Amino acid sequence: MSIKVHEFKKVVTSTVIIGMILLFIAFNLFLVFDHHYIRNELTVLNKMVDELGYEINDEMLENFQDLYRDELKKMNEITNDKTSKTYGDVGTFFEEVRNDYDLYNVYTHKELDHMNQIMIMEIYLDFIKDMDHEYASFDLLEFAETEISLYGLQGSAAETARSNYEKLGDRLNQLLDNGEHKNMFFIGQIYGMHSLLFKDIFRVVSFEIMILVVLITAYIMNYEFENKTPLMVYSTRRGRNIIWDKLLVAMGSGVIATTLILGITLIAYFCLFSYKGLWTVPISNYFNWEDVFPLISWWDMSFIQYLICSIVLTYICGILFTMITFILSIFTKNSYISFFAFGILFGLILLIPDIMPRSNNLIFLSGFTPFHLVLNPQIWFTGRGIFTIFKYYEITIVGVWGLLLFIGGKLSAKRFIKEDIH
Amino acid sequence: MLTIHNLSKNFGSFTALKDINLEFTNGVYGLLAPNGAGKTTLMKIITTLLYPSGGEVLYEGQDIFKRGEDYRELLGYLPQEFGYYKNYSPMQYLLYIAALKGLEGKVAKERAIELLKLVGLENVMNKKMKKFSGGMIQRVGIAQAMLNNPKILILDEPTAGLDPKERVRFRNLLTDLSREKIVILSTHIVSDVESIANEIIMIKDKEILYKDSMRNICNLIEGMVYETEVAFDEVSSFKQQYQSLSEKQEQGKMKIRFISKDDIPASTWKPVSPSLEDVFLNIYNDEILEGDNQ
Repeated sequence: MSIKVHEFKKVVTSTVIIGMILLFIAFNLFLVFDHHYIRNELTVLNKMVDELGYEINDEMLENFQDLYRDELKKMNEITNDKTSKTYGDVGTFFEEVRNDYDLYNVYTHKELDHMNQIMIMEIYLDFIKDMDHEYASFDLLEFAETEISLYGLQGSAAETARSNYEKLGDRLNQLLDNGEHKNMFFIGQIYGMHSLLFKDIFRVVSFEIMILVVLITAYIMNYEFENKTPLMVYSTRRGRNIIWDKLLVAMGSGVIATTLILGITLIAYFCLFSYKGLWTVPISNYFNWEDVFPLISWWDMSFIQYLICSIVLTYICGILFTMITFILSIFTKNSYISFFAFGILFGLILLIPDIMPRSNNLIFLSGFTPFHLVLNPQIWFTGRGIFTIFKYYEITIVGVWGLLLFIGGKLSAKRFIKEDIH
Repeated sequence: MLTIHNLSKNFGSFTALKDINLEFTNGVYGLLAPNGAGKTTLMKIITTLLYPSGGEVLYEGQDIFKRGEDYRELLGYLPQEFGYYKNYSPMQYLLYIAALKGLEGKVAKERAIELLKLVGLENVMNKKMKKFSGGMIQRVGIAQAMLNNPKILILDEPTAGLDPKERVRFRNLLTDLSREKIVILSTHIVSDVESIANEIIMIKDKEILYKDSMRNICNLIEGMVYETEVAFDEVSSFKQQYQSLSEKQEQGKMKIRFISKDDIPASTWKPVSPSLEDVFLNIYNDEILEGDNQ
């Protein structure tokens, strides 16, 4: 059996690691199923997209309005039948129902459910009607100035922020020209599905993976020192070079843990919330505009492309954290100290931007870390957040940190190979 | 041949070894010195765990640290503090060490079974080691050291923690295993090396004091070791005059084995052949007394 298999067995026989993977999966399933109540409403969009397509153009809009009118007509037939009343829109009907609770009892659940579905169609039509106006009235540069003032940026830092927002403005114009925004998706302001998936779930998963890979790496790297076997292990033929086997096994175990946690969580998520017909919708669509700022991806990406990029980035972050712990473990030789050293490092790196001068570009540089990256997965690959609004923010972090950690890892290993083992 | 040239090792300002020169060819070498004399440091350097502060260690003329894996694959090492994985069985543990030693799976398994039989653990080879006695663990340690049929076998205090029966068993085992090898056995228990070592190496004040056959080393105090009976009330004054090696109460008197450098021995003194233990006690008298006082 190869050394790597033996090292891997140490990981899979650790009750702490296995227990934490199970615990994290259970927590994520709870997190996903906690939002099950919006499931039925979301399926209305699947049906609409199935019938009309997701691209909003004149033809689609005409068909949509026809469909809506047909459905409204059917609803009015029912209401007329039961209360001798008809309505110009579903909103008015529900307004009336809200004020007169007895009306609920007049209609069956099936009828109310159907009316609710028409209501959702109506909301979509209202949103589409407002879409052009919303983008036209959104002033990106004014928003930039508000942010610059809010964070107290001055001098070169303020100039960098302005320049970045200008670049994002160019991208916004591009996406408006492309019509990326004119696509159907779950209404962000109501359901917040982008935030649910990429903020709540991906952030939690990223943190879980970070904890796990740190635990796994610290555990496997310090295993000999904690079991008092380093003298035997490091005097064998493989000797101190075993740390490279350990690094690969830690990375592999991290990848497996990531696959398990992210895989099971995403399977549960997509089983609960159907994205049928929506996989290829551009991510920068109007409906993903959840709050005061539209979602503007730096590239024309579909939802599935965005999801895949986020998954890949999650894996890469796990590998970066593995390499950080690998270096820490070489110095600490204790899994607990490695774990806490990582935690302290995390905290300190997050604090650095706060102590940086607000008039210098260093404030941006101090935010280019994988620790900052995992804090906000919902804005990956998009222009959002004054300190992260760089087109190549994620790629730069991965590239630079990957290179630095590779060099750091090599130097630390060289030091370890030359150090006395007591 | 394993050669050590002008080897020194410092830990900060503390000197653990100074100007060590040794040569090892096939045979059993007993490294004899009290605790803290630098035996373990020397062994850790030979096993490449510690880097020398000065000097070099050569195997077949090449620096062992430069040879790296090529050198370490010839090594078998049982450290003084033999750690093990409590939840592993001896078999699992030996297979792990075998992988680190570069043994192929099938060969490793055959060799592990063979060695576990040799050390008398074949009946418990799949039991978890957490329930093993100190002697059983030590036998696992010996087996792991022998896995790769090493050319250089380093055993650091291998009998520590073993009961007398197990120590005898270990000595016999070592005699069987030590053919065509350099075996360096460190101990502060003289009887461990007395019967099996071809040469004895003694370290004192961080330096090599003697490296010779047991006979030659014993000859160092030939004609100086006596036994006599002393009345109890005279024991104290006698011990002030002569270095006592051992004492035993016998027929109302104290029978003392001692060293005298007097040219003319008393008529009541019975000359005896010096043993290695006598030499050990004579050489390390000061350190042993210091150790006793601590």
